Amino acid sequence: MQTEDYKISFFRPTTQRALANRNLIIKLFLLWAVAIFGFQVLLKLVEKPVPEEALLRFTPAWEQIVAGEAAEYDFQAAGQSMVQAMGKITIGPDNYAALRDGVGWMLQKVCSDEEFAVIQQDVRTVNALREQITTLQDSDYLAAKEAVIARAAPALNIDPESLLAQLLSIGLSDDMAGISDENKQRIPEIMQLYMTHNRSFLTDFIFLGFPFHYFYTAVLLLVFFIALCWYYCYRIDRLHARLNFVEKTD
Amino acid sequence: MKKILALFLMLFPLTALAATDVTQLEGSFKVGPAIIVILILSLFILVGIVFRAKDTTDYYAAGRSISRVGSGMAIASNWMSAASFLGMAALMYGSGYHGLAYVVGWTGGYVLLLILMAGQIRRYGKYTAADFIGDRYYSQSLRAIGAVIAIIISIAYAVGQFGGIGLMFRWVMGVDYPLAVVIGGSVVLAYTLISGMLGVTKNMQIQYVIIISSFMIPMFILTAKYDYFWLLPQIGYGAAVQDVVDGLMISEKSGLFNSLGHHFAIVPNPEYAMPWAASTGQTMFHWLAIVFSLMIGTAGLPHVIQRFYVVPKARDARWSVVWGLFFICLLYWSAPVYSTLGMILSSNPEVGQLARDAIVVYTAQLGDVHPLIVGLLAAGGISAAFSTTSGLMVAGASAFAHDLYVKVINPDVTPRTQIRIARLGTILMAIIIASIAMLDLALIAQLVAIAFSMAGCTIFPLFLLGIWWSGSNRAGAKAGLIVGSIVTLISLTYLIAERYEWVLPYSDFIAFYLGAWFFAWIGAPLAIVTNIVVSRLTRETPVEIRKFLIEKVHT
Repeated sequence: MQTEDYKISFFRPTTQRALANRNLIIKLFLLWAVAIFGFQVLLKLVEKPVPEEALLRFTPAWEQIVAGEAAEYDFQAAGQSMVQAMGKITIGPDNYAALRDGVGWMLQKVCSDEEFAVIQQDVRTVNALREQITTLQDSDYLAAKEAVIARAAPALNIDPESLLAQLLSIGLSDDMAGISDENKQRIPEIMQLYMTHNRSFLTDFIFLGFPFHYFYTAVLLLVFFIALCWYYCYRIDRLHARLNFVEKTD
Repeated sequence: MKKILALFLMLFPLTALAATDVTQLEGSFKVGPAIIVILILSLFILVGIVFRAKDTTDYYAAGRSISRVGSGMAIASNWMSAASFLGMAALMYGSGYHGLAYVVGWTGGYVLLLILMAGQIRRYGKYTAADFIGDRYYSQSLRAIGAVIAIIISIAYAVGQFGGIGLMFRWVMGVDYPLAVVIGGSVVLAYTLISGMLGVTKNMQIQYVIIISSFMIPMFILTAKYDYFWLLPQIGYGAAVQDVVDGLMISEKSGLFNSLGHHFAIVPNPEYAMPWAASTGQTMFHWLAIVFSLMIGTAGLPHVIQRFYVVPKARDARWSVVWGLFFICLLYWSAPVYSTLGMILSSNPEVGQLARDAIVVYTAQLGDVHPLIVGLLAAGGISAAFSTTSGLMVAGASAFAHDLYVKVINPDVTPRTQIRIARLGTILMAIIIASIAMLDLALIAQLVAIAFSMAGCTIFPLFLLGIWWSGSNRAGAKAGLIVGSIVTLISLTYLIAERYEWVLPYSDFIAFYLGAWFFAWIGAPLAIVTNIVVSRLTRETPVEIRKFLIEKVHT
């Protein structure tokens, strides 16, 4: 690495030790870079946007609804899909509100006026009680939610024992007075946004319970980093032993 | 040490009396967790007193008497901040796969640190980053600038830690966030002032054990309770990830509930695990830019670099990185467990909006883990923030007292005055950090990521070229530093403008390409290229520096 005028450069080693060290660093660096960045680029190259099943049900149903040619099962399919989207953790409040209006509208379409009025009343009761209760296990509150589920879930062809029914019971707004044109336009975009995902064989292959790409990034890469570090230290120790190189202690 | 342990064991049974029910996620004083936090903090202060610094060598570099495993534990403890303990799970909870960029960035950087710097830094034999910069680039002004940068980076990093401390104290004590920051900040300040780095290093080893235990115990309980492979939760949670992706019907885990009575069930949320889902607003570019910035930032952080001064020789510095990384990974393999189970446990909208930075604690609470265990978890979060903050404060105080005051302002100072100046610097830093932390500017991990990008743009190029190319000279270093600082300033100006809703030109472009969490992806390469070009065009590095590099650092 050194020259007579004391110049050093990583890329121009002049001693045996420096040369071996440089080569080792380059090898490990390349492995490191490919393992991290190469895999993510591969992930990007092979990915394809794949819709969730709920979106596949929603899209044709919504087209029928917008065209004014929808049957009851179209309203139910769209309603179920929107309730499912409302259960997503990352959904923003504005989008949640738009979907809530959409679900209310679907209920209006599949229920008679009398049934709808009763559901509206039940929903108002749930929402009012939620503001008053000190525990979510409050018996009146639970009963009110059950009442919503008993009427609204079958109307949208949702199993009353399911998670969707639970979400429906707490997801409706007080008035359910139809839907704005703006929300009508936004709902398909919202559904598209939250229900389309980048997938590939790397994401669909299950390894030790994980989607493979997730396992690779969250678990395997870290193991690899430790292995790289261990290997470097081991090789440097061997190199120093071979060259009788002793590091000073302060 | 035995006395400390005896005192701790004597006090521990008291916590059993305080095993009150934690049913509220926020807002009430929690007796059990509070006692655990007080016990652990008392332990830290006792250790700090017993192992307090006796002279400047002790204060800055722990007498260079720490073993490589011990140093590895200290590296891990120093590293495992509130951003690791609380922030990573928060990012994954909020933005899914994108959050893994922080896991990869904060671990992969150690490979760079090891192969490019650890041994060489130790052999260079300086106490602080500014010391290295000042000597290597034979410039008092660069030494002063290096010290100021080290202080700014330490402050930026510590703001996130104070945020974490504030969040946990708020959770435990039920007080407002600003008051919680003041209380927690005062305790960490007192501890750092009493102990210095020798106490800090000893404490870091104890803190590591507390941090990792407090993180692991609830994780085993949660995975066992919700019927995942609990013997190795870091692998067992894979099934939970798949449950989040595919959705989990009530019937699949019937009889399992969260602490609020909701079924352990979730609708399909593939965006949690699938890469760069549109709904998260993140792209592959951002993922890679964050990883790169965090990695080079790791190799440029003053308080991380400083850990290599506390081992006896370069070989120990290298092996301490291996141990340190292993100890760090134990936590980083585990953080996604909390975000994944937290997704399911908090999926019912009735749970409401949770403070993402506290999702680790909320997950344990929603999983109905015993209140004392949840308290231990919160204490672990506080310990994580404490261990890093104390290291940062020592690094900042070292830069203030050693690099600025002693080396630039008053070289004839006595060691006693030097320690006094270091302690004054620590107090000033704590006040500044607490003041900024109270503004609650961003998520903990994001605040910390700013410090990484700053380090990547400024200190990393100086160390990388300073160690590996004797041609890098004073003029090149200054030019590179200016470029790195300009990129930093542009990014931070736009961040502040966005926060205060000022309208600046090209804000969308800057937000996309020069975001505050990842601007080093371009800032660091630009600084390196500038350093090289200017160095080639200006006078050569003095022969004595080149000789020192060869004889001391590379031979």
